[in-house]
Parts: sequence; C-alpha cells; structure tokens
Amino acid sequence: MDWNLLGLSFATVFLSELGDKSQLAAIALSGNSKSLRAVFLGAASALLLASFLGVMLGEGVSQILPTRWVKAIAAIGFAVMAIRLLWFEADSTQSEEA
Amino acid sequence: MKLSSPAPGLLISELEPAERLPNPPLNLPKDLIENNLENSQASIPSKQLSRRQEIEIFFSTFFTIFVAELGDKTQLTTLLMSAESNSPWVVFMGSGAALISTSLLGVLLGRWLSSRVSPKVLETATGTILLLVSVLLLWDVISA
Repeated sequence: MDWNLLGLSFATVFLSELGDKSQLAAIALSGNSKSLRAVFLGAASALLLASFLGVMLGEGVSQILPTRWVKAIAAIGFAVMAIRLLWFEADSTQSEEA
Repeated sequence: MKLSSPAPGLLISELEPAERLPNPPLNLPKDLIENNLENSQASIPSKQLSRRQEIEIFFSTFFTIFVAELGDKTQLTTLLMSAESNSPWVVFMGSGAALISTSLLGVLLGRWLSSRVSPKVLETATGTILLLVSVLLLWDVISA
C-alpha cells in the first residue's frame, strides 16, 4: 500500500472539494429535507461513482458522456429547484408548519 | 460410505419436527429488526418518514450531485493522479474517503444551520445556494 499516494490523493481532493458546489448542494439539500441519512448516502454514493468513473475510465469518460451537455442539464435542474423553493413552496411549507 | 446413505433418511424423519423449532427463533430477529427500524425512524426529530420517501430523497440527491460532479475538477484531478501513479485503486480510496468526509461535513452543516434558522429564512437560503450552484455549473459550461 502506497500510503504517501493515499494521503496525497485524500488531501488534494478534500481541499479542492471543500466549499465546492457539490458540498454546497449537500448543505442545501440536507437543510431542507427530512432525512439526513438519505441525503448523505445519496451524495456520498454519487461522488464515489463519479470519482470511480474518473479513475477507472480515465479520458474515456468525456467520450462516453458529453460533459458540457450533462452540466448544462444539471445547471437547469438546480435552477428549477431553486426557483421552486424561492417562489412556489414558500406558502405550502408555511401551512405545513402551522 | 455407509453413513451417507442413512443420513438422508434421518434428515427426513428426525429433522422434520426439529425444523419447526428454528421457525420461531427466525421470526424473533425479524421482529427485532423491524422494531429497531421503527425506533431509528422515530429517532429522527422531525416528521416520520416512510422508506419510500427516504429512497426518493436518496435518488434525487444521487442524481443531482452525480450529474453536477461529472467532469468536475475533482474528477479530473483523480484522473490525472491515477494516470501518473499507475495505482488507480489507491487514488480511488484516497479520493473516495475525502469525498465521503466532505459530503458528511456538508450534511452536518446543513442540519446544524436548519436547526438554528427559521424555515422561511432556510428556504430562501437554500434557494439562493441552489441558484449559486447552477450559476457555477453554467460558468463551467461557458468557460470550458
């Protein structure tokens, strides 16, 4: 086991991921949903799969999935969730709380 | 050789009543598991969640974060490191541990914030964060 490489990859990824958009998304999703466990498991397994693809497929991942299009779709998805929260669900949750 | 032929006969005749014994002990752990599941769901401070709702939350989180993270700089970093080092599993374990801990930190931070802030402020903040995420993603698309 190459502990040096293990530590290096841990530190690099940990520092570059701190405060990155996936962590922001995890903060946002967990604050607003009822199940902490489901959000954590979903986020962790998505990140693991993404990094697994990166490590195992290498350059091939960009050929299989056109990442620009995927990202554009993700951006639209997040924007839709944000708009729904900001404009449409404010009333319904207030009545739920009451 | 001789033992193998009487053994099936013994199994049918003598173990049949014995097979009724394992059934109640098998049911007990099931009950215990179900009780534990109910207890663990009840220990969630807010409303009770059904298993289905939890699975829905799991998959919506999974897909949004997976799609957002594809082709991200973390993935490119791990890609380069595994290509350079020739030991992809070590790089995967290191980056996997890092990703698990950052998402755990994020989830805990989100829960902590949600316990201190009123629901309405929380919704506005969540919406703003999600908008920020989508702007960051769009920025990646444009600058790539």
